[in-house]
Order: sequence, then structure tokens, then C-alpha cells
Amino acid sequence: MAELDEIIHQPLRLKIMAALNALPPAVAGLEFSRLKKLTGATDGNLGAHIETLARAGYVTLEKAFLGKKPQTTVTATAAGRGAFARHVAMLQEIIAASALRPE
Amino acid sequence: MGIERQEALEALNDVAQIARRVRQSRIYQLSSLLMVMWGALVMAGNIGSSLWPRSAGFLWLGVHVTGIAASFALGAVSYSRTGTRTFDSRMFVAFLLFIAFGIFSCWLGNFNNPRQIGTFWAIYFMLVYTVAGLWVGLAYVAIGLSITALTLIGYFFAGEWFEPWMAVVNGGGLILGGLWMRRS
Repeated sequence: MAELDEIIHQPLRLKIMAALNALPPAVAGLEFSRLKKLTGATDGNLGAHIETLARAGYVTLEKAFLGKKPQTTVTATAAGRGAFARHVAMLQEIIAASALRPE
Repeated sequence: MGIERQEALEALNDVAQIARRVRQSRIYQLSSLLMVMWGALVMAGNIGSSLWPRSAGFLWLGVHVTGIAASFALGAVSYSRTGTRTFDSRMFVAFLLFIAFGIFSCWLGNFNNPRQIGTFWAIYFMLVYTVAGLWVGLAYVAIGLSITALTLIGYFFAGEWFEPWMAVVNGGGLILGGLWMRRS
């Protein structure tokens, strides 16, 4: 059995990747403020975990200004989407395997 | 890194929950603009009916034609930006059927004064919001039930101020509801 992806498995990072993967392909990414609302995380915590995902090459950050207001958009990369899909498949495998295992 | 079944279940549950929230948030974002636009039109329709009661029929026809055209336009813009259709030909047919049934009900119920007709249409539209909300999100249910309650209060207690009341609670309610959905 392959190993679980430790970067994605952390609960908040899993939520971030799940949110980005739930977007239709035509939508680029999610703004930081929206991700914060969706995950229920604090600014600092969310920022730190996004940085970890970015360092792993799973997300990219795009900073822009909306008028005078700074806006950061987080987008899942192809590598990030692939890693997330593999991670979810692995979780499903663990559940399926445990169902077959005798108690 | 090895984990147990329970942890895997919890992780998958988190993934499903977030995906649901993202879908709901996108529905709210896309439909909030439509709601604000319809709110402004309904407010204009009610103010117009109050100022020119004899032309109310034409005014409301204009409101609906403009609303449908603007819904198509917003749907096209949203499709080009996000790949999601908010108003398509199937919704247009559903809207026509809904209007046809409303006209039939008004005729069958023999509603013969503007107050009855105005109340019926507002409540009828809000019924759709409320029912749709059971599937797409509770914000719709809250908006539908609040505007229905305020419409009934206006019907029984607003007297000759019924149309201005409806402009505020129906039109204004939709605008506020749309803005609220945008933030949620």
C-alpha cells in the first residue's frame, strides 16, 4: 500500500485542498478571505498552511489589488490536484481494507 | 504514515463537507446578483404601480420582460467567466410555466384588486425561493419566509401604503437578501 501524503493529510491543509478541488475547471482559484470562511481557520493559521502547500508545489498564490484592498488568490496546481486525488483514493482504500479485515 | 479507519472516515467526511460548502457558496455568489437585480426591478414595479395604478399591468409586464432579458445576460456573463450557467433555456421554460400557472390561479381565484394580486404574486414567488432553499441553501428559505411574512403583514395592516410597503419589503428584501448571500 502506498504512503499517505503527509503534507495534504494535515486537517486544515486537507480542507484547503478539498475546497480548491471542488471548484469547476473554469474557475481559477479561491480568495484568501473565502478560504478562511470555508475552512473556519484564523488568518495566521491559514496563511502558514497555504505557505506549506505552496512550498510543496501544490498551490500557487497570486497577489493583486482590488482598488486599494490587497487580494490573494490561491489556486491548486496540476501536481496539487493529482496529489489530492491520490490521497482521497488512499483514504478510501484504507476504509475498504478495514471493512474486509476480520475483527 | 499509517492511519486507522476512523481517522480516514473523518478525513473523507471533512472533504465532503468542504466540497458541499464550496458548491453552496458558489450558488450563493452566482444567484446573489440575480436576486439584487430582481429586487431592484420589483421595487421599481411597486413604486410605479403606486404612482400610476392604471398602468400597473404594463409596468409589471415590462418588469418581467426586463428581468428575463437581464437574467439571460447575467447568465451568459457568468458562463463565460466561470463555466456555470445561472439562467438557461430550461429555467426560462420553467419561469414561463410558473407565470402561466400564476395567471391561471389569479383567474381561478377571481383576484380582482391590486392588493390581492400583489400579495399573491409576492407569496407565490417566495414559495419558489423557500422550496428551492431546501435543496440549495437555508439562506433562500430565510429570505422566502421573511418576505412572505412581511407581505402578509402589509396585506392586512398597510392600508393605502400597501404598494410602497411592498416596494420596501419585497424589492428591498430581495436586494438585502442578495447582498447577504454574497457575504455568506
